[in-house]
Amino acid sequence: MIKDSFSLRHPLERLVGSETEIIQDGGFGAILAYAGVGKTALLIQLAIYNLLSNNNVLHISLNDAVKKVGLWYKEVYRNIAFQHSIEDQEQLFETLLPHRFIMTFEVDGFSVPKLEERLTELMEQNIFRPHIVLIDGLPFDVSQKESLIELKAFAQRHSLKLWFTVRIQRDETPLGIPAHFNDIEYLFEKTILIQPEGKDIQLKALKGGKTDSEETELFIDPTTMLIKENKWIQHIT
Amino acid sequence: MNQDITKFRNIGISAHIDSGKTTLTERILFYTKRIHAIHDVKGKDGVGATMDSMELEKERGITIASAATFCEWLGHEINIIDTPGHVDFTIEVERSLRVLDGAVLVLCSVGGVQSQSITVDLQMKRYKVPCLAFINKCDRSGANPEKVIKQLKEKLGHNAVAIQIPIGLEADFEGVIDLLSMKATYFDGKNGEIIRIEDIPGDLMELAGNKREELIDAASMFSDELTEAILEEKEIPEAMIIAALRTGTLLRKLTPVLLGSAYKNKAVQPLLDAVIKFLPCPYDTENTALDMDNNEEPVILEADISKPLVALAFKLEEGQYGQLTYIRVYQGLLAKGDNIYNVRTGKKVKVGRVVRMHASQMEEIESIPAGYIGALFGIDCASGDTFVSSGLSYTMTSMYVPKPVISLAIKPKDNKSEVNMSKALNRFTKEDPTFKTYTSDETGDTIISGMGELHLDVYLERMRREYNAQVVSGVPKVAYRETITRKAEFNYTHKKQTGGAGQYGRVAGYMEPVDEDFAFDNQVKGGAIPTQYIDACEKGFRNCLAKGPKLEYPVTGVKIVINDGASHAVDSSDMAFQAASRGAFLEAYSKAKPVIIEPIMKVVVETPTEFQGAVLGSLNQRRGIIFGTQDEVTSCVVEAQVPLAEMFGYSTVLRSTTQGKAQFTMEFATYKQAPQSVAEELVKKAAEEKKNSQ
Repeated sequence: MIKDSFSLRHPLERLVGSETEIIQDGGFGAILAYAGVGKTALLIQLAIYNLLSNNNVLHISLNDAVKKVGLWYKEVYRNIAFQHSIEDQEQLFETLLPHRFIMTFEVDGFSVPKLEERLTELMEQNIFRPHIVLIDGLPFDVSQKESLIELKAFAQRHSLKLWFTVRIQRDETPLGIPAHFNDIEYLFEKTILIQPEGKDIQLKALKGGKTDSEETELFIDPTTMLIKENKWIQHIT
Repeated sequence: MNQDITKFRNIGISAHIDSGKTTLTERILFYTKRIHAIHDVKGKDGVGATMDSMELEKERGITIASAATFCEWLGHEINIIDTPGHVDFTIEVERSLRVLDGAVLVLCSVGGVQSQSITVDLQMKRYKVPCLAFINKCDRSGANPEKVIKQLKEKLGHNAVAIQIPIGLEADFEGVIDLLSMKATYFDGKNGEIIRIEDIPGDLMELAGNKREELIDAASMFSDELTEAILEEKEIPEAMIIAALRTGTLLRKLTPVLLGSAYKNKAVQPLLDAVIKFLPCPYDTENTALDMDNNEEPVILEADISKPLVALAFKLEEGQYGQLTYIRVYQGLLAKGDNIYNVRTGKKVKVGRVVRMHASQMEEIESIPAGYIGALFGIDCASGDTFVSSGLSYTMTSMYVPKPVISLAIKPKDNKSEVNMSKALNRFTKEDPTFKTYTSDETGDTIISGMGELHLDVYLERMRREYNAQVVSGVPKVAYRETITRKAEFNYTHKKQTGGAGQYGRVAGYMEPVDEDFAFDNQVKGGAIPTQYIDACEKGFRNCLAKGPKLEYPVTGVKIVINDGASHAVDSSDMAFQAASRGAFLEAYSKAKPVIIEPIMKVVVETPTEFQGAVLGSLNQRRGIIFGTQDEVTSCVVEAQVPLAEMFGYSTVLRSTTQGKAQFTMEFATYKQAPQSVAEELVKKAAEEKKNSQ
């Protein structure tokens, strides 16, 4: 299989540790940023890493339609394939698709019981059993606290790892975790901030980062939205 | 016919299934006094809507064939073509949009943008047809025009701009607020024919104000004058906004959105006003032809009756009086008694009767001027033929014809049926380029191919009713293909030199997979194969594609590169090199790891959420890859790719699984390699069929 010709390293390893350290089952990770800075692109890079690692990815979008999410994956994957000089990239992409399931909801129509019901249907019929769940577009305001606590319990019940995108407003404190996130910060094992700094876009670990400062600088390439100079796919010769 | 071409509109009404196209057209004909009574699509009176003239259409409540009619509104003449919504009859939409200047995209206010909405939108893009959106069924429970506008923007990428807002929704839907005139419009009378204009209700004033600002903001992108007026905070005349919206619409950079309920006779008249205000007349659209005498150089046609004739035949219909050819005139005048030329055949034809259509009825006219659509009797031609005046050699690009994806073997029950079946097939294949028929060399079966089960089902039924041909249909046949998966070299010599005239040719090179049907690259240097035989080489390779060596399915995705060879001064010939190429193909083919590929369909199922699990299961059982689900509160849309071979009879399964509440659409997506088990089954079947035929 084409996948077997690669060895993989988690794209965020340099920032938040090795694969086994990043998030355990039942754990939460969050990607925080202003609008348009690259949260979804980073989330999808994590997704593609998991797909290449033979993990099933459930991508939940509260913003975009199934087709649009699909296009995001194609775009990010193509950039990754180009960055890592992957041959037969279309063929490889086809093998990843059965391991990805996209669910989209209206923001108002989303609830944890509904998600659990949908997921149970998939698992009981052996259609799809995710290893990692990505939730893109959940508004992180005060009203969501209960939902997040329920999601934590849900993740622990099903031994899932969950990554979220969190939009922060430009008037919030630039120093660290936004105020409205403080109440629920304890639910998250890893928190990553995407911060534009001049011409660069830097990834910073706000929580759960590696302490070795030489390893903790990661940047995003604004043209491709990929993590810069971070070849996490190695060809095995 | 109206002689002022600026007061003319050629429009199509397109949408997903059951959005209300035919019902809308019925109301349009009523309000323009073209008909004097409204009949519902599947009404209790059994009459059926005007545009559904075929018995089958009335019975099933679906539009099968596109139908043309014309009407007048506010001194303008509007030619309307009502089209089917099922993807099976997609050719009707293709041909209509090819010849129309504008379109109304009808959307259900509950269903929103659905799968066929996406397909017809792509078709409108293909032919660069400006459109309006009409959000229909605002009287239905769950109606949500805001959601539909959002979907228009997100799913179809339209710059959708509301020019109306509803007064009430669902059972409370009373009328609409026109954001241009800032007035409320109500529709009274038994059939909504009495329009009452009043002031905007107080509770909707603020919303109307906000929406009008959004409208003006969007329109200002297309008018410097409007932008200035906004910046200078002047009062903005309605005409200025309309002009800006029209500019945006004609450029296909803006889509005005209207709403209403055709079934409840509300807000159809403002849609007609919008057709006149925003959709193009024939002058506004740029139509081009290719000049065959000048290297197919594009030539812009002028909608001017004094210029030489250029017209396109876009639809054929066999009737009791012979062949009726629907024709759109792009330039010049097509008059009774004229001699015109078919560019494809080069033959001159004399124009006999010229008519205008009103669904199944026709009206004799003397001529069809530029910009108009009419029909001719007694002209033998094919769909897509260009007709010109003497001295011109222009051809218009025809419409896109998708390939069939499903086949069926049919057998007549008796001799009489055989004759009638043959007549029926001749007619149907001539009228519909997506409906094909051929006879299997091995079994002698007649095979029909089409765009879906419904497509073939309708033709079989028409054969029985219109031609009294009793036929029995066999198992549907899937259009499998063969392709190669790796590069393989060939070096083949064809030699027959045993005395007398001989044959000699050697061809060397390689074949490799490619993303198109077939590619041929000549890299022979130094005349190793004389240039006069290169075409023969290509022909020889091409001929091998019709029946693949593996299982005799058509071969696709092969690139042939020839880079060496040899010839004989006496014995080489076209025939020799064709034979050499055939041998080379066979030699390399087995080394190139050929595989069977099967058509994969994009399947979209819309279902109430309580049946989502069952629907997912039903697709999963059919080797489907489910891409995702879109939850829409009370309903859910499941998108999947499923092999066509697994989809037969799915409509019955879906109906029983979801109590008839779900519906699905299916269209061709791609070809993918068939699993080993499927390929083995096909080999076994082919061997059995061969054994039975011996």
